[in-house]
Amino acid sequence: MSDNIHKYFNDLVQKVSGLYVIQITDRDGVPILQASQENIDFALMPSIIPTFTTACDQASKLGLGRNKTIISMYSKYQVVQMIKLPLIVTFVGAENCNTGHILALESQMDEYLEDIKTAVTEA
Amino acid sequence: MEQQLEKVLTEIVSQPDTVGALVTNRQGLCLAAKGKINPNVSGIGMAISEQVAQLEPNNPKPATICLYSGNKRCIIQKNHDLTGVIFKQIPGASISASAMQ
Repeated sequence: MSDNIHKYFNDLVQKVSGLYVIQITDRDGVPILQASQENIDFALMPSIIPTFTTACDQASKLGLGRNKTIISMYSKYQVVQMIKLPLIVTFVGAENCNTGHILALESQMDEYLEDIKTAVTEA
Repeated sequence: MEQQLEKVLTEIVSQPDTVGALVTNRQGLCLAAKGKINPNVSGIGMAISEQVAQLEPNNPKPATICLYSGNKRCIIQKNHDLTGVIFKQIPGASISASAMQ
């Protein structure tokens, strides 16, 4: 099962052009799964997740409902983070990567995320 | 601000057999959508147009892509920073409830 999930996310990284990393963590930023393009290593990734959780909590106070996704654009990269409690899914891509395509993946990955969620809640 | 865009989309959707239309920017984010079309299609539509553009990288003219499915067809055209996606119903075919989502 876990091989299946890992293969699915590895394939997903290859499908979206300009996408470097997909990382699935729990709310505290503990990595559960990472799929990345070859030769890509994001050493700063662990610090992104707790910051995102804080930003997400703050964004939820804007009166627009619960925050679901945060898209951060940088000069070299873009980071798309989705809250799928108890999981956080983080996508890191090139600044010109197709953001709409990444967002469209959300519904496609739900089935696989459910399996991971079950494993996380049971642990 | 987007009144012009809305106007163009309304005009497109009013054409015969047209079910829905949307316009996306170069990031694949939906700028406006009209009719029965899921705004999430914008990212995938944009990705398809980029892939197709690689078939003839030296051709300056953008390709028009036409995808045929059971009862609908999807027309995608890229024009500089904008990409348009139009869903058309094949005349005589009935739209199933699932296809309209």
